Amino acid sequence: MNPIQQAPGRALSGPAAIESSGLTKCYGKVSALTDCTISVPEGRITALIGPNGAGKTTLLRLLAGLTRPTAGQVTVNGTTPRQDPAFLADIGFLAQEIPLYRRLSAEDHIRVGAHLNPRWDAESVRERLTALKIPLDRAVGKLSGGQRAQVGLALSLAKQPRLLLLDEPVAALDPLARRNFLGLLAGGVAAGGLTVLLSSHLVADLERVCDHLIMLASSRVQLCGDIEDLLAEHQVLTGPRKDTTAIERSHRVVQVTRTPRQITLLVRLNGSGVPVIDPAFEATDVSLEELVLGYMGQDAEPAPTRLTAVGEEQ
Amino acid sequence: MTWLVWRQHRIQFLVGAALLAALAVLLVITGMQMASQYHSALVACTANHSCANLSSTLFLGSHAVGFLVIMTLGAPVLVGLFWGAPLVAAEAEAGTTQFAWMQSVTRSRWVAVKIGWMLLAAAVWGGIISALVTWWEGPNNAEQLNAFDPGRFDIMGIVPVAYSLFAMALGIAAGTLLRRVLPAIAVTLAGFIAVRTVITLLLRPHYMSPVTVYYKVTSGFTPPGSFWKIASGAVGPNGVAIDQNTNGNVVNGVPANYLPASCVQQTRGAFTPPPSCTRALAHFHGFLTYQPADRYWTFQGIETGIFLVLAAALIAVSAAVLLRGDA
Repeated sequence: MNPIQQAPGRALSGPAAIESSGLTKCYGKVSALTDCTISVPEGRITALIGPNGAGKTTLLRLLAGLTRPTAGQVTVNGTTPRQDPAFLADIGFLAQEIPLYRRLSAEDHIRVGAHLNPRWDAESVRERLTALKIPLDRAVGKLSGGQRAQVGLALSLAKQPRLLLLDEPVAALDPLARRNFLGLLAGGVAAGGLTVLLSSHLVADLERVCDHLIMLASSRVQLCGDIEDLLAEHQVLTGPRKDTTAIERSHRVVQVTRTPRQITLLVRLNGSGVPVIDPAFEATDVSLEELVLGYMGQDAEPAPTRLTAVGEEQ
Repeated sequence: MTWLVWRQHRIQFLVGAALLAALAVLLVITGMQMASQYHSALVACTANHSCANLSSTLFLGSHAVGFLVIMTLGAPVLVGLFWGAPLVAAEAEAGTTQFAWMQSVTRSRWVAVKIGWMLLAAAVWGGIISALVTWWEGPNNAEQLNAFDPGRFDIMGIVPVAYSLFAMALGIAAGTLLRRVLPAIAVTLAGFIAVRTVITLLLRPHYMSPVTVYYKVTSGFTPPGSFWKIASGAVGPNGVAIDQNTNGNVVNGVPANYLPASCVQQTRGAFTPPPSCTRALAHFHGFLTYQPADRYWTFQGIETGIFLVLAAALIAVSAAVLLRGDA
């Protein structure tokens, strides 16, 4: 197995499009995002994963400058998010509910964008929507949810942003449209000059296009790093039901699953790269889905020694 | 930004313009009829020297149009209800501020352009309606009907412009704070009526200290022009106010029970008070507390100023909330 280890939030090679430290947003007494320290590399697609209510939308809105942090710092494209045309011109943002003017047509939106942005690729939107057979002259409110999402996505790309923040952009799309859109994003990133941070629940989709991952749960960052590195840092251990304190001493156990005969552990190998050397356990590599489900299933309080058993089956 | 405002609100603008045009056509046609009717009546009464009671004999225009003109009292609040209240609230409900504020325009520019055009539209709306009504009422004004009457003062001159701006600002502020269209409309309507009522009834009479004139009840006193009577009554020989609430006869403003019996008319027909009554009346003075007619424009100016200040405060609150708050 690959011995490369990476701590969450560790500085990455190459410049970062987004860097935050201690970023916190409270609404009244409820904390939507707590002590969020992340780094998103430039020129890549980063996945933002987490259960509902984990703080993904809050994080994206903070990065876009739509809301202000209660505490902590964040740098986006080298500056603090602010009300400044130059900053805004470099950020593309599409909210989850695809907020468009319902009575206006796609063509109207294209013209609005042309009036309000220094860079605006109107032709690409028209071409793309025409190829998707989406009528340009129909009121957006009369389009289907998927078509509206396509309009919103095309408009956010027309701005030619350096950083694209997308909140569950593919949720409304059918599998083929999803694949096409993610391919488009990957193409844009490969062509250079574009960084994407997108949230989604569809791990399989993310696995195909993303090479970096941020995982939030209960308003806190659980994982942040290159997907390859994160997979290499974790292992699934399967063995007889017996005392696991030796393993817990040297590694962090993320999740425990018990069946009557055996026990399965998702462990994060400790930073020094000490492998698990208990011969009673069989170690296997972890898939991204297993990793994500493991972190979602655990009690997300930052108390790594506390274990939660889920289910009785493998 | 201006193009976005136009594209978003052009239906409202066109409906507003159509309503104004319809009102203009109606008032210009009937107004010209009224003006010619008035001028021919004036020529006729000059010929037989009966112009003194022209205002009581001449009725101009139609009841239907007159009713419509009175209804323009409600015109200012319409811009607050249908343009102001949804301006921010509809965008907040649909989340479209997240679209607008993620284009390359700052929020302050969005706020300034959007609110600026809406205020301009409100001022034009109030101004055109008021200009039409003021012109239409020209003949009636010449007859010196009470210009300070709320049904006339409030629909003419410059105050309708200020009311419209205030209604728009109130609608925008309600929509910004409540972020829901229907509650914002309700609050705008209730707030507009409440503020207008309170200012009309409680504040307006005190914009300037009224003038009080004492006069001999036998000679009487009427100030020139279209004055605003605040109070009137009579005082007795010792300067004591006289209780005007009486069911009995009143002679020259003085209840008969304060006067000798000779003042009370016993027979039908013309009555000339005897000298004993005239002597008794000489000890009584009438008084009239009023706002003189030449204060009309001062009052219009003060009322306009009050509503402009209120509108400015509401706009300042809305802008502060929009610039500081979350999308």
